[in-house]
Amino acid sequence: MNHRLLNKNLLKQAVMLAICSGMMAGTAVALDLKGVLKDAVNEQLGGKTEQPAQANEGQNTSAQDKLANINWKNPSQEDEIAVGRNVTGTILGAAPLVNDAKLQAYVNKVGRWVASQSERTSLPWHFGVIDSTDVNAFAAPGGYVLITKGLYQRLTSEAQLAGVLGHEIAHIVQRHHLKVMQKQALMDAGTSFLKEKISKNKITQRAVTTGAEISARNLDKRAEYEADSMGTVLAARAGYDAYGLAEVLQEMELLGNNDGSVALLFQTHPHPDDRVAQLSLVSGDQIDKISGGKTLENRLYKLK
Amino acid sequence: MIKRSMIKNSLLGLLTALACSSAIAAETGVVLKPDQLRADAFSDAKVVGNVTKNDTVDILNKKGAWLQIKSTGKTGWVRLLTVKRNSAGGNNVAGVVGVATGRSGTGKVVSTTGIRGLSAEDLKTAQFNEAETKKLESYTVSADEAKQFAASGGLSSRQYPYFQGASQP
Repeated sequence: MNHRLLNKNLLKQAVMLAICSGMMAGTAVALDLKGVLKDAVNEQLGGKTEQPAQANEGQNTSAQDKLANINWKNPSQEDEIAVGRNVTGTILGAAPLVNDAKLQAYVNKVGRWVASQSERTSLPWHFGVIDSTDVNAFAAPGGYVLITKGLYQRLTSEAQLAGVLGHEIAHIVQRHHLKVMQKQALMDAGTSFLKEKISKNKITQRAVTTGAEISARNLDKRAEYEADSMGTVLAARAGYDAYGLAEVLQEMELLGNNDGSVALLFQTHPHPDDRVAQLSLVSGDQIDKISGGKTLENRLYKLK
Repeated sequence: MIKRSMIKNSLLGLLTALACSSAIAAETGVVLKPDQLRADAFSDAKVVGNVTKNDTVDILNKKGAWLQIKSTGKTGWVRLLTVKRNSAGGNNVAGVVGVATGRSGTGKVVSTTGIRGLSAEDLKTAQFNEAETKKLESYTVSADEAKQFAASGGLSSRQYPYFQGASQP
């Protein structure tokens, strides 16, 4: 095993450790043990703070340019959207959209309405149902939300859909995934100073790959609980019954651990038992003060 | 002939009753937070008792976001988040049976051979799909369209703060 490979493995472990130990919110670089590393990162990633408009270029080129020029230290909203678009397109590469325009339009209306209750109404929110029998949902930075057909088919009301989408919207509002990807990029930049010169492009590519994976993989447990709690409130603000997400989580409790369709979900989220318990704890008696919400069973779009 | 079918029927009935009662008995839960036990599944229904944290209860029924439970001899309804169901989670008997029969409690065939649909590995190796991404973006609706849609379902925006509570036990 050569040194470079060894180094890469170490880095991977460090990333996992960083993610698992829940270093989500800080801006500190996990491997930043010495000031010198920070300087190197600053030098490599500081750069531009604004992206020049690329109006005359084709969309693909422009998207790639955006991606190549991400300011990982302090990403703008435009940066965030460019990253999220790439993560989402990668998930869509694994499972395409369900070919049902009415379904997709419906999910966008519900999702956009819930997102309008959040602190980030100016994001261009996109929602989609992907063709997978798995039970799962994904959020990517900048307002991209995907839910699997397998999960959608288990829903029995629009309030439940609103709750599930609310959970994903909360991840985006709190920039949970973006922060993990930033950490990866900054660590890569630090390593490249120490060992090898990785281009900025490469750093972004690796961060985005991490993004596609972590949009499914273990975020910090606290981030998931926070998304459950915030998602519940967002759906309630939108006028829905507050228990939609809780109902879905409880349905998931009833799926065995050996059910293959939830394998990834259970790998990447705390067990539904713990999520229900946590949501119960955090909501306390505050959830009981929310009344008069609608469930809208009949409006839930039925899949063909 | 008549007798035999009658015996058959009563046997079947007995078996069904056994199966049902054992299914109900298997559904137990633990009370997560103190709450009032109500006579019916709505918030202004008559209070018929109380539950306290860590009480073990039998779960009899579910209606929307309500659970009918039996606790220390009293039967009534509580909100969903008051009780944690503890029959399906973890590597319990249901899970073991699931493996043995190839079926889970939900009647779905279970994969025990590692076929897992969308795996973390799938996502790691997937290629960016520009066409599908554009398609996704084509379904985007504006805030105004969403508002109209909400109004048509009788939904209106309400002001609630995010929950303030301990995030970790």
